[in-house]
Amino acid sequence: MGIRVEGLSKSYRRLLAVETVRALNGVTLEIQTGEIFGIIGPNGAGKTTFLGCLLGFLRPDSGAVTIDGHAPDDLEVRRVTGYLPERLVLDRWMSGRAFLSYHHALARLPHAARAREVDVALEQVGLAADAASRPIHRYSRGMLQRLGLAQALIGEPRYVFLDEPASGVDPAGVVLFRRLLNEVKGRGVTVVINSHQLEQVERVCDRVAFVSGGRVEAIETLAAGATLARVLRVRALSGAFDRAGRDALETLARGVGAQLADLAAAQARFAVADDDGAARLVAALVGAGIPVIEAAPEESRLERLFLEPPTATRTPPTP
Amino acid sequence: MNATLVLAFWRQRLASPIRLVILSLMVLLPPALVSAIRGLSITSLGDAIPLAMVLAVGMIGQDVSSGVLQLILARPVRRSEYVLSRWLAVALGASAVSLLQIGIFWGLSAARGAAPGFDTVAQFALGRELQIFGVAATMAFLSTLIGGVGDLALYALIMILGGIVGMIGQVRHSSVLTWIGQEMGAFVSPKIEVAQLVAGTPSWFTLATYASNLTLALVLAILILNRKELSYASG
Repeated sequence: MGIRVEGLSKSYRRLLAVETVRALNGVTLEIQTGEIFGIIGPNGAGKTTFLGCLLGFLRPDSGAVTIDGHAPDDLEVRRVTGYLPERLVLDRWMSGRAFLSYHHALARLPHAARAREVDVALEQVGLAADAASRPIHRYSRGMLQRLGLAQALIGEPRYVFLDEPASGVDPAGVVLFRRLLNEVKGRGVTVVINSHQLEQVERVCDRVAFVSGGRVEAIETLAAGATLARVLRVRALSGAFDRAGRDALETLARGVGAQLADLAAAQARFAVADDDGAARLVAALVGAGIPVIEAAPEESRLERLFLEPPTATRTPPTP
Repeated sequence: MNATLVLAFWRQRLASPIRLVILSLMVLLPPALVSAIRGLSITSLGDAIPLAMVLAVGMIGQDVSSGVLQLILARPVRRSEYVLSRWLAVALGASAVSLLQIGIFWGLSAARGAAPGFDTVAQFALGRELQIFGVAATMAFLSTLIGGVGDLALYALIMILGGIVGMIGQVRHSSVLTWIGQEMGAFVSPKIEVAQLVAGTPSWFTLATYASNLTLALVLAILILNRKELSYASG
């Protein structure tokens, strides 16, 4: 049944302050079962508040969140939920293994399977046996994050909420996170990720909500083509653009709805409308005999969302 | 109650070397001194409140302010279950330590040929157990009000204010102020005279005060934690 959010609003009133701060303003969206859903937006946009409401840690002023038709703090939901907080504070006196055993028990999972499932979880996140026996206060930031992720995934939850999951993790850890997310997606797990790491979000998410000023300004479906204009940087073999000539390139670009922005010896920049426009441009260039060796957007699609807050190109916040 | 939470709390408390040293000193020193000095009885071991405090301080507030509580409550654990488990963990832990202290006192006294009778020891131990369960409930309530170990400051404040109000009441012959001071004192230092119970002449008012304070403290602790928003976005 997935996650349904309807008209969610949340305000904070600071102690002794007269005015309230509106963190969420009528957010409505649906997250399908088995989907990896990203939440991005600038600082103070309301992302953490949104995640807090999804988890049932914050009480909305109005609106509702349901997970499989239940309130988010319903024990039935808690049984199938995993959570990795951004400000990861673990019970530092425990060892990594004891910590996972503790959460396995809190999740009311069968005692008989505990040792095996904890070992599997440790192995999944690449924490070796000696590291698992070490007290958590001796863990590096990256190890803590890996342990936190293992904790979130223990017991094979059906819903996983990750707040900045790759924060402080080395490149090998980032690759591991991506692999794990692909694995859980393969099991039909619904994952909600709140992250500032746009490249990672773009790589793993099916859809991304761009949150700003407490509203969902756009929902980008990453599996489909980009709906926003962008600049495409095209590199060709040395001298190829010079031989074609600036006028010819401008005419060729106009013919496929693009525009030549600037031209250097082995590189040209074109403004294109969307993914389809980029594909048409590259095809036209190759068709005109220009030996293209690389074509890449100057910003990723999600960076574009940040740089050009969506207005006319906004997609409705429904799946 | 949640046995996992109770056990984890004990392990966490005993993982602190400072707390272990303090507890060891509290368990060993008073019995050694009291049993060594002639004329002192088992009651000279004093209240069990300091013992309970070593385990109780920050029992909930530390989890709230550190963020650990979010991870616990993301699991299928009711907030009421969490509060009652914390209360029970403190109460049972402090009870065990108190009994150990009394046991050491009895052993040392017996070695000197001056062991107190079973009835005396049992009455003293029971009085302390009741006190521990009461003060653990008070601390559970205070710990939901304030983060970290601020509950200890609140406890001290109520104790001092209660003393001052009671004193003013006596000086001004105000029964209301005296009563308020006594009630504040009973809240932070719950006590039942076990000897009166055993003699069949209990003070029903004291019993009712004890039971209502304990119940009220736990109910308030659960209500406050249920209302608490657990996200740093709300902080």
